[in-house]
Amino acid sequence: MQRTNKRSKVLYILYIAVLFVFFYLPIVVTMVFSFNSSKSLTHMTGFSFRWYERLINDGSIMKAVYVSLTVALFATVISTILGTITAIGLSKNKKIVKDVIMNINNITIMSPDIVTAIGLMILFSSIMMAKGYMTMLLAHIAFCTPYVVTAVYPKVRQLDPAIADAAMDLGATPFQALIKVIIPMLKDGIYAGILLAFTMSFDDFVISYFVTGNGVENISIIVYNMTKRTNPTINALSTIVILTIAILIVISKLVPSVLRKHMKKLLAVAGVLLVGLAIFAGTRSGGRTLRIYNAGEYIDPELIEEFEAEYDCKVVYETFDSNESMYTKIKSGAEYDILIPSDYMIERLIKEEFLQPVNWNNIPNAKGLNKEIMGMPYDPDNTYSVPYFVGTVGILYDTTIVDEKDLSEGWELLRDEKYKGQVYMYDSERDSFMIALKANGYSMNTEDYGEIEEAYRWLIEQRDSMDVVYAGDDVIDNMISGNKALAVVYSGDGAYIMVENENMDYFEPEQGTNEWCDAMVMTKDCRDEELAEAFMNYMLDPEVAERNSVFVGYTSPVSCVADTLAATEFEGISAYVPNFGAPKNEAFGYQEMKLKQHFADLWTKVKAY
Amino acid sequence: MNDALIELRGLSKNYEDQQVLKGIDLTIHRNEFLTLLGPSGCGKTTTLRIIAGFEEPSGGEVLFDGIDISKIPSHKREVNTVFQKYALFPFLNVYDNVAFGLKLKKMDETMIDHKVKHMLSLIGLSDYAKRDVTSLSGGQQQRVAIARALVNEPKVLLLDEPLGALDAKLRKGMQIELKKIQREVGITFIFVTHDQEEALSMSDTVVVMNEGIIQQVGTPEDIYNEPENRFVASFIGESNIIEAVMKQDLLVSFDGYDFPCVDKGFKTNEDVEVVIRPEDIDIVKPEDAKLKGVVKSIIFKGVHHEIVVEAEHRNYLIHTTDYFEPGLVVGLSFGPDDIHVMYRMDWE
Amino acid sequence: MKHYNKLVRPYLIWSVLIILVPIIMIVLYSVTTGGNALVNISFTLKNFTKIGEPIYLEVLKKSLVLGFVSVSICLVLGYILAYFITKFKDSVQDLLILLVTIPMWINTLLRTYAWISLLSDNGLINSFLGLFGMDAKTFMYTDFAVVIGLVSDILPFMVIPIHTSIRKIDRSLIEAAQDLGADKVQTFMKVTLKMSIPGVINGVMMTFLLSISTFVIPKLLGGGQYMLIGNLIENQFISVGNWNFGSAISIILTAIILIGLTLMKKFDRDDREEELERAKNK
Repeated sequence: MQRTNKRSKVLYILYIAVLFVFFYLPIVVTMVFSFNSSKSLTHMTGFSFRWYERLINDGSIMKAVYVSLTVALFATVISTILGTITAIGLSKNKKIVKDVIMNINNITIMSPDIVTAIGLMILFSSIMMAKGYMTMLLAHIAFCTPYVVTAVYPKVRQLDPAIADAAMDLGATPFQALIKVIIPMLKDGIYAGILLAFTMSFDDFVISYFVTGNGVENISIIVYNMTKRTNPTINALSTIVILTIAILIVISKLVPSVLRKHMKKLLAVAGVLLVGLAIFAGTRSGGRTLRIYNAGEYIDPELIEEFEAEYDCKVVYETFDSNESMYTKIKSGAEYDILIPSDYMIERLIKEEFLQPVNWNNIPNAKGLNKEIMGMPYDPDNTYSVPYFVGTVGILYDTTIVDEKDLSEGWELLRDEKYKGQVYMYDSERDSFMIALKANGYSMNTEDYGEIEEAYRWLIEQRDSMDVVYAGDDVIDNMISGNKALAVVYSGDGAYIMVENENMDYFEPEQGTNEWCDAMVMTKDCRDEELAEAFMNYMLDPEVAERNSVFVGYTSPVSCVADTLAATEFEGISAYVPNFGAPKNEAFGYQEMKLKQHFADLWTKVKAY
Repeated sequence: MNDALIELRGLSKNYEDQQVLKGIDLTIHRNEFLTLLGPSGCGKTTTLRIIAGFEEPSGGEVLFDGIDISKIPSHKREVNTVFQKYALFPFLNVYDNVAFGLKLKKMDETMIDHKVKHMLSLIGLSDYAKRDVTSLSGGQQQRVAIARALVNEPKVLLLDEPLGALDAKLRKGMQIELKKIQREVGITFIFVTHDQEEALSMSDTVVVMNEGIIQQVGTPEDIYNEPENRFVASFIGESNIIEAVMKQDLLVSFDGYDFPCVDKGFKTNEDVEVVIRPEDIDIVKPEDAKLKGVVKSIIFKGVHHEIVVEAEHRNYLIHTTDYFEPGLVVGLSFGPDDIHVMYRMDWE
Repeated sequence: MKHYNKLVRPYLIWSVLIILVPIIMIVLYSVTTGGNALVNISFTLKNFTKIGEPIYLEVLKKSLVLGFVSVSICLVLGYILAYFITKFKDSVQDLLILLVTIPMWINTLLRTYAWISLLSDNGLINSFLGLFGMDAKTFMYTDFAVVIGLVSDILPFMVIPIHTSIRKIDRSLIEAAQDLGADKVQTFMKVTLKMSIPGVINGVMMTFLLSISTFVIPKLLGGGQYMLIGNLIENQFISVGNWNFGSAISIILTAIILIGLTLMKKFDRDDREEELERAKNK
């Protein structure tokens, strides 16, 4: 008996250990790589604190930490108070009131985050509430409170109803009885509620993602938008977050008595911190502000700081992960001064009258712009748009695997079964259809449903025969690591990858490709046109444009910068010099809603198999 | 004893469609130990809660020193309560529980300390000041609850079945102690119980209630010896209750015989009920009594035997110290004093 | 306590405004066309019939299958873990459960990123396999990766309720069963398993809810082609901009969850009633 017991104990320990490895491996990996000396997330090259330094110096991350913390604190305090008094009031109410509230609670807890999120997003947009800190806070209170109620209510039910009577009998007013007797008796439930509310709020991504705007981002959103160029800064941030939370939990679980004894002090400290942070945040604003909405990792952050210093203003800088999500944000009422979307999206924004014309007189640096990229169909006279980066779409290939001769296949290379399982497509409906249409010899802006159907077939066949992966911006990291041999990329990303991985090369099929241009535009909501134009001008300054181009890897629209860099920094990087003006190249045009919907449906069908 | 402290006038209370108090009139005096006695659901606890201020009456008034307090919240009344399950604050120690009310009054710290220590010594728990209340026994918790209420020097102490949770032996001890404390502090106690023995042994005045109506108010002796109706008679102690007819003053007729009695003032031939307590019936030889019967059962009860005698019209319950063989034919004898005549009530 | 009745009022008003109104608006969007502008609104059921198209049914099916697979894996792994944990003494149990809880508090996104660096083609796991001379395998953008990421995210929600319910079982019940001649396996089947059903139900409900509605994990670990209901909703709202269709899918998702939860609750209740009946008959 003794022996079998021992043997089974070993089995228990082994099993538990294996599962704990499963739980903690990702966490440990995250923490270890935060100290990596290089950018890689898969190979440890040495120990350094550089990512922590970068983290501290990154204004947008620190701001997100501030937002996450304060929203979590405020939401916790408010939802704890609201949830606790509700739970107390609930116990003695009529059954109908009780049922109504409990059901509302269950709805919130049981409905998926994403449904709650869109509900709140619709609500805030339809009452025209400006999205930002306030909407995020309200949303967090909304989803935290039910958890507090659920944590506290059972304790209320266990309460002897005579306890409140006893307190009042001894001379306490109902309010004193609440504070001095009932709440102390519920403290276990309330602590549980606080812990739940704080962590739910601090960790939330989905709901915050949908309801925020105007430059207000929490840690999760920053992390989500960082996908483009993952680097160990995220790991450094994660490590700090993980350690903080772990320490908090250990303190609250293992030393509850300490926490309880010093609860008042802790609350006081938290309060002081909160006020301090609020003042700190308050002092930083003031003066002129410029609200910019750009794609993630699409600017050298130092340039923003320098611009702020030079023009004595504050830049509210927010990022999006796709043109479409930017559009949704704008449509649902978020306000910015400058947007930096892509050509086809600019055309749509112009048609839907979101933009205002730019006064080119205020942008003297425009003289340096490459003439070839001006006057493209999306904005023929460049009334609204000032080019920011330009490029094409092409195929990035691993020279050690792909045979040079096969390049002549053009886009069909992506269907060459020699490279089955070696292809990343880009998870973008328009780019994928562009490839399929061009491969079939059609215009990428076709409105002919027959042609579109053929393109759709092309994609389906490709998907089935090639085992393709539809990757997002993570393709960059994957190609740097050389995970697959072929990838559809934007030329700028191609250049960035080629700098990091010398085996890679870039080419544009002769069937034609997408010539794109991301440009700065000014919205109708713009509050400070002068400053907005100053920013546009600043970004075209040759020195600034050069630093930005080096940082991001995309081709500068400023001719002299592009030429210089092609010969220096990006020497031999073919992707940096896209082949503009190739005969079959086109730019994306505006799509009517019906056509757009058709493409969206087909694309969903391609992806969802 | 004659100066009234609390007067209840026409007090009624409805919960939704249920009427739990149907017009209570009662005067409570200073320094009185008054017990509200009745079965559960009779309205005794509701009456107490109205006096404490936990419930508002649906009708009628509560006069305290002549002033209507029925709208005044409980925390402003000079009344304190000892709860059924004590309702001690589990997160406070014994000392802080007792000091709770005084601290709310913002009394001087040294004063509080003095009063609390005095009260703890009164209840014999001086050594327990720093103890957690949850670590105390039932009896000790009970004392803390009493101390917590009394330290506020209320004019009235309300006790809601405070002994219900204690075991039999502890109960007896606490009954004596409560009575002692009441004499020492010299204030009015209003005590709620469903235990008639407890009520009779502690009270100056007993109020018997049933179905939201006061059945009888009187001293324990009155209540026991002179129950006003069948309910009181049957609720207080054991008794033989017999339907009878009042032939004339001092003469009552039942079971086919006329008996002399001491009651008068009834109408001639009025239907009444008669109570004869079991210990008031003597068992005699059959020929010495009007009523005769056969001993049906005999149970030894410690001090006495409980005998059931089957007579012609009914069974009689008798308590006696003597022993009689079952099956024996006996006579039942009682004097005029032992017969108590009551108005007949219509029980629906 | 009646003094405190009114305390529910702030929340009542609050929840009507910020919980009920949005739900009503989602419903409204789902039965109308006219996009985001409320000007030319017209009622239609087209948004719902559209879900009937094979491709969207496929998405629904895929979500349900993934949900079912992840919940099943969690149930097996989680039950065993919870059961084994109860074999230790109380203080160790508390510590182990705390260790199970900690990952729950850490941002899903962060942990999912960590899985990416573990699972990618030349990630840590493949490097590790390489040490043993094994060929690198492709984990990323497969069902395997999504299931791994999902299971590691939701497993604690399964372990904790099961552990709580096993721990609550009175020792004397187990002893009684053994006393009555049940061997270890019989005791486990007849007592432990039976008594832990409420915990299992809770765990299954939580994990089902989380797995069916996820969209971040499949997006990051499964790639763009990994389309589940959650992704479809996100797609409709963020990329396509068809809020009406997005709302309709949200309602379908909510309905699936409600049906699932009701079924499980009913199963739970039936089970308890059955037990009660049996107890009465005895």
